[in-house]
Amino acid sequence: MTLTRAKVLAAAATVLMGTTALVQAQERGGVMTFGRYADSLFLDPVLNDANVDIWILSNMYDTLLLPTADGQSVEAGLATDWSVSDDGTVVTLTLRDGITFSDGSPITTEDVIWSLDRARNPDNGIWNFLLSAVSEVTAPDDTTIEIQLSQPDPAILPALSVFNTAILPKDAFEAMPGETDLEKATAFAENPIGSGPFVLESWDRGSTLKLVKNEHYWADGEDGEKLPYLDGVTFEIIPDDATRILRLQSGEIDGAELIPFARVAELEADPNIDMELFPSTRVADIILNVRPELDGEANPLSDEKVRQAMNYATNKDAIIQVVTFGVGTPTSSYMSSTTPLHTGDGAVFPYDLEQAQRLMSESEYPDGFSASILTLAGNQDELGIATALQQMWSQIGIDLEIEQVDNATRTEQYRNGTFQMRAGAWTNDIADPSQITSYFAYSPTIDALHSGWKSEEVDSLFEASQSEMDEETRAEQYARIQEIYNQTGPIILLYETPYPVALQQNVKGFYQIPLGNNIFRETYLETE
Amino acid sequence: MSLPAFLGRRLLQLIPTLIFILIVVFVLVRLLPGDPASAILGDRALDADVERINRELGLDRPLPVQFWAFVQSVFTGNLGNSISMKIPVTQLIWERLPITMLLTFMAALIAVVVAVPLAFVAALRRDRIADSAIRGAFQVGLSMPVFYVGLILLTVFGAKLRWFPVGGYGDGFVDQLYHLFLPAVTLALSLSAILMRNLRSAIIGVVDAEYVTFARAKGLRPRLILFRHILRNALISTLTLFGLSIGTLLGGAVITESVFAVPGAGRLMIDSIYGRDYPVVQGLTIALAVLVSLTFLLTDILQAWLDPRVTR
Repeated sequence: MTLTRAKVLAAAATVLMGTTALVQAQERGGVMTFGRYADSLFLDPVLNDANVDIWILSNMYDTLLLPTADGQSVEAGLATDWSVSDDGTVVTLTLRDGITFSDGSPITTEDVIWSLDRARNPDNGIWNFLLSAVSEVTAPDDTTIEIQLSQPDPAILPALSVFNTAILPKDAFEAMPGETDLEKATAFAENPIGSGPFVLESWDRGSTLKLVKNEHYWADGEDGEKLPYLDGVTFEIIPDDATRILRLQSGEIDGAELIPFARVAELEADPNIDMELFPSTRVADIILNVRPELDGEANPLSDEKVRQAMNYATNKDAIIQVVTFGVGTPTSSYMSSTTPLHTGDGAVFPYDLEQAQRLMSESEYPDGFSASILTLAGNQDELGIATALQQMWSQIGIDLEIEQVDNATRTEQYRNGTFQMRAGAWTNDIADPSQITSYFAYSPTIDALHSGWKSEEVDSLFEASQSEMDEETRAEQYARIQEIYNQTGPIILLYETPYPVALQQNVKGFYQIPLGNNIFRETYLETE
Repeated sequence: MSLPAFLGRRLLQLIPTLIFILIVVFVLVRLLPGDPASAILGDRALDADVERINRELGLDRPLPVQFWAFVQSVFTGNLGNSISMKIPVTQLIWERLPITMLLTFMAALIAVVVAVPLAFVAALRRDRIADSAIRGAFQVGLSMPVFYVGLILLTVFGAKLRWFPVGGYGDGFVDQLYHLFLPAVTLALSLSAILMRNLRSAIIGVVDAEYVTFARAKGLRPRLILFRHILRNALISTLTLFGLSIGTLLGGAVITESVFAVPGAGRLMIDSIYGRDYPVVQGLTIALAVLVSLTFLLTDILQAWLDPRVTR
């Protein structure tokens, strides 16, 4: 049982919400103001490419299935029933009765087919890979959707709960001015018609984004009242961490996201603030370039013993204390413990300096070497990690140089494969281990995080797992992939951290799922 | 040379400046490592996606072709669409730049209102307690980092005393002025210190000038001497400094806007540089360059009025 924390939290939340509903019968309206660190860029489910969009899109656009609060599986959304055929090649879904868009027009099978076809079009955006197994979407009758797959896809149900498979109104979208899908999407995003609990009311870029209740939303809350409870959500963009917290403390906003770990303890002690740490899929690690040669010289990081020595010499608990102020936990695999099919318990390489020194002396570099690490300029967490590693790895003869660069610079060196080491972080977008594994370990995608690492066994296990419908077999495949990658992969495993969100005490029913989506559907402001 | 002829010549001089800026901004933004596609997609970028996006944006064309397209569109008033936000750059500038202009204007006004009278007091009470106190206070203001001053003002006057909102940008002009007051004070702090010191020494220089002694000897009223002879002459060098500082002030707005959550052009610029959003960086730079050039022009005109020797 590896998911205890997430499950306990989810269960506790359900119980708590249930009790409040019983004890207090109250008005559940109100407009919630939520402080964000950065504004959204482009609120189209298919063509977006950043977390600032992804994490709020599901409030505006519903999907056929919804991710559960623990982010582990799916529940009913616009579809009430779903089944996968025995051979795994056909998904059949039943549309909910009487569902409409925010303008009151009915959501039809035609909208669903068009939305899914748009989402899987390889020319549209960067998320179509999630539906790459789909060969055709049809509607045998007015309430049934049939998705044909070219090969079985064990991740197809979670994929139908991911933001890019959201259902949009075909006619309204196509009536937009413009020639291309991008031009139409741009026009549509200015004045969108949604299927989610909220709909966009106004957007002053860089300042405020206002969502109001979608009166036509289908779901009812646990108290039998219609969802959403809130009349609206106003996002205020407050990039400075200290200012965002100050505005929360002064009562000007009801919630603030991405609280720096350094401030978590202080806000937990503040009786007026409800400091939440939502379980996430975020993992922090160091990616190593393991190509045999870099810049024409032999690359020490290609030596497996060196990598293991570095892992053993990394004191995860110390880094967690210094960088996350004790909020994080050591990762037990390259994927977070909240990812389905995760295996492992406790750090893969418990801190052991003697073991590290022994491995180093057995390696081809017994006297150590110098290397450099790329960190994001201005990112205190990454700088903290790198500084700690500089000191820790000096114990095994590694002279680490820290290079602070901006994101585009780092991405260029990363994609060219010319970097030596870099700090990295990852969050899943789908409740399935395939996305992170494809990027981290499966070499055809991006050379295993552009590290040049390759394992024939991992590649073939991953390919097999992609169409493996037997859950147990797939779990075994993933257990083996994790074993190989964690032991020999191009990576220093560090820690996983929750999403730190600070709320006013009267904010109830808000949560962020491990994939990052902020869910305001059941949120309300308690009045006294 | 008459004032109109002087003006005409200065306006003509703007043209090569702007052409130079067009070239510089086009080249500089492309000299930065990385490209928009990698910046947007970050670590998840697949080669195929990066290639597709660069093709869609026309970034796979030769640089001279791209530059020619850029120049053509600039002169037709079309600055292109933002790569990350998809909307027209002109719309973004129109939404964000006026906020920064208002903030800068308020800061400049506050700086002048504070600096000029205090410079007089300091200069005329030279080396006495008032002078030392004023100079000392400004020295402290000048040496404190902007983001730190901003946070202190926010904590004290916003969160604790509740006299001002804790950042953000209001609805309606009066509310916006109210929201911009603390950021404007923050921004004005270092400028007022520089202006005060400069004006103080200019006044000291003028007070001892022969023409002032002569005016006194003629028996002119002290008030007349102060305004017509001392202030007017002392302001000449300070005005130049003030004009040049506007550019710096616009730069300082970047940090101030972030601390106070003001949705101005400064923050847009920073985000766009990090995101390698070429059209936005180019468009904003051009808009800011025009703005700064116009400020310089205005400074020149004021200077010509203060000091008729300039147009000769």
